Amino acid sequence: MSDSKLEIIVGEGTCGRASGSTEIMGLFKKNAPDATIRTVGCVGMCHAEVMVEVIDGDGNSHMYGNVDKKGVTKILKFHRGEDEKPEDMLLSATDDPELEGGQYLTKQTRLALRNVGTIDPTDMEQYKARGGYSAIEKIIQTGMTPEDVIEQVKISGIRGRGGAGFPTATKWTFARGAEGDKKYLICNGDEGDPGAFMDRSLLEGDPHNILEGMLIAAYAIGASGGYAYIRAEYPLAVKNFDMAIQDATAAGYLGDNILGSNFCFDLKIKQGAGAFVCGEETALIASVEGERGMPRIRPPFPAIKGLFGKPTIINNVETLSNLPWIIDNGGAAYQAIGTEDSRGTKVFALAGTIKRGGLVEIPMGMTLHEMLYDIGGGSSTDKPLKAVQLGGPSGGCVPASLFDTKIEYASINATGAIMGSGGIVVMDEKSCMVDLAKFFLDFTQIESCGKCTFCRIGTLRMKEILTKICDGEGTMEDIDTLEELAEGVKQASLCGLGQTAPNPVLTTLKYFREEYEAHVKEQRCPAGVCKGLISHTIINEGCNGCSICERYCPVDCITGEKKKGETWVIDQDVCINCGMCVEVCNSDCILVE
Amino acid sequence: MSNQTLEATVDPELVNKWIEEIGSGVPAAVPLLQAIQGEYGYLPRDAMDLIIANSDINASQLFGVATFYAQFRMRPVGRHLVKVCHGTACHVRGADRLNTSLNHILNITDEEEDTASNGSYTVEDVACVGCCSIAPALVIDDDIIGNLSGADAQRVLKKHAKGCKEDLPGDTSKKKKAAQENSNEEARS
Ligand SMILES: Cc1cc2nc3c(=O)[nH]c(=O)nc-3n(C[C@H](O)[C@H](O)[C@H](O)COP(=O)(O)O)c2cc1C
Ligand code: FES
Repeated sequence: MSDSKLEIIVGEGTCGRASGSTEIMGLFKKNAPDATIRTVGCVGMCHAEVMVEVIDGDGNSHMYGNVDKKGVTKILKFHRGEDEKPEDMLLSATDDPELEGGQYLTKQTRLALRNVGTIDPTDMEQYKARGGYSAIEKIIQTGMTPEDVIEQVKISGIRGRGGAGFPTATKWTFARGAEGDKKYLICNGDEGDPGAFMDRSLLEGDPHNILEGMLIAAYAIGASGGYAYIRAEYPLAVKNFDMAIQDATAAGYLGDNILGSNFCFDLKIKQGAGAFVCGEETALIASVEGERGMPRIRPPFPAIKGLFGKPTIINNVETLSNLPWIIDNGGAAYQAIGTEDSRGTKVFALAGTIKRGGLVEIPMGMTLHEMLYDIGGGSSTDKPLKAVQLGGPSGGCVPASLFDTKIEYASINATGAIMGSGGIVVMDEKSCMVDLAKFFLDFTQIESCGKCTFCRIGTLRMKEILTKICDGEGTMEDIDTLEELAEGVKQASLCGLGQTAPNPVLTTLKYFREEYEAHVKEQRCPAGVCKGLISHTIINEGCNGCSICERYCPVDCITGEKKKGETWVIDQDVCINCGMCVEVCNSDCILVE
Repeated sequence: MSNQTLEATVDPELVNKWIEEIGSGVPAAVPLLQAIQGEYGYLPRDAMDLIIANSDINASQLFGVATFYAQFRMRPVGRHLVKVCHGTACHVRGADRLNTSLNHILNITDEEEDTASNGSYTVEDVACVGCCSIAPALVIDDDIIGNLSGADAQRVLKKHAKGCKEDLPGDTSKKKKAAQENSNEEARS
């Protein structure tokens, strides 16, 4: 078969590039110059990057994962009829529904992600070919009023996806009614949760969709000025979104008199500069104004008095990404998905010890278990899953015993965790829950802007206590003090950062108290993580004296004679328990306890 | 080589051009600092002084912003920058070990120091780089690389160093490898 009938699509999101997609792309171009070769954003199966989709002359799609240089040759040979099917790389195929990778996608409901991984994000025409900009055209050409738009969004029942879950239509109504000669709409692409990448993938993979969502929101509230606030750590998202702004402006979707109406909207990008608290809406406003990103006391709410003192609405990237679909299909169609409490879908970024990590979008109401096992494929290690962390530094841990919990706002809140923005870090028995709580407190303590005392001092004290416990110097009273402090910080902090910072501690105390107690009473870290409580020793029976550990030990504390396993020892006084030796040992003979 | 030699020489014309293009009011503070750091890798004092002198942003505003945001760096930076992700996913999958092994091969032993003595590489910690499914991850200059063990991190750095002809002060593997090969030979004979 000639290559000219083949369509080859390479995933070139950040994950793809990080796994070498640019090189793979180059190889296809070189070795199959006659094929149609396209690039798309993150396909979502980040665990299997580099991802390549090949559509053959019969229209059958084959999705390949973990494609390396040799894989390129194998794939081309197969599609030219010269070689066997490369089963090891084949994740899914439209002519073979049994494949595991197929389930990864069929269990999902992709609305926000409907184009991500399908279109070339730098080509506006591809967005339009899939119905892009039809929502804003519908609004303007059929003469929908802002109230009509708000009504559809109200019917849809969508709640803000940035973490707080506030009903979008309600917020808009405030801003719509607010007095002001100028109003602003801000897209919150700060994605502060360290362990989440939904908004990155959306901005990178389908920027026009976010842009159209912003147009719809701006139209509804009457905003003529807009900012997309994007994290500085996301250069590709900034680049693709910037290109979308230029192309949309040239096509008349942005700027003055959009599509010939009197609706005007001017949109700029502001890059964040690495402060978690800037994701909080009032801090974000301060940051756009050029100041230190400190939260401001509400009221007045931004919807009444926000950016430069004008009524301002801030919506999360994912919230915005659903709007074109809602306008196109009607609020009722969105409302039909999900549960009474939580309508529609939610995008999650699955990471940690999970087999098929990546970006997934599920209908609300699916259980954690279904998402983790049916879509995610379960644990990626030989250890069973222990817990998931939802919502990052503001969220909490849900233990495996509660994996039947439905993914909806109320059910997740009932566990003590939060829905959050969609970051899920999956953990097996090798993760220490006390260490995790300390990790988050470290983070929030550094990120606390320092304005209110409870947050500033409270998080510091909590961090100190957690450090003590992890070092094996904690007492049982410390655990009680920690709990009291956590409640105090939660009650008395000014903004969401402080109010939610104790959640990781409170949930781990609730579900994994015995781990805290093991650290205190037995001076033992059951997961073998806390450096102050573990030691590394060589099991000489298993050691073959290869000396690789000696080479990688950063503090030169391992000595012995080559090929004489019985002679190798670790000097406990010097060892820093970094674990390099465990990682490089070929014969699994280093004991951690 | 001391860090002194890593101090950048600031071109006043360039800084003034940015002020003209980006703006001279307070809302321009962050983008101006980003432009400077983009060019010099950190915020040289001379560039800051130029902004204070030639814009409407005063010293306390500018330094206030520069010290508030984690992105900004006041100390000179090595010729190449390695950012190690310390987001949640990377943390639980062993990001600490990447630092240990990178510091080892760069011979950075002082906890206060983050740049190799020959000025080749600076190792910085950052929050999530958005590739959590391939954790742990790091960024060398502009390339993100994921799914790394501590040993992989050294390999990646060695490859990078070879590509841009940098020396790694802590890389003793060449010598040791030679020794290893010698002993292998002996064993065979
Ligand atoms: C400390 C803190 C950090 C936040 N970070 C983010 C963020 O990174 N992205 C986001 O969309 N919302 C974030 N939020 C929530 C925003 O304040 C705001 O509720 C949200 O952007 C509103 O959009 P939505 O209604 O569409 O969800 C954060 C809130 C707090 C308190
Ligand atoms: S936690 Fe490291 S990339 Fe997200």
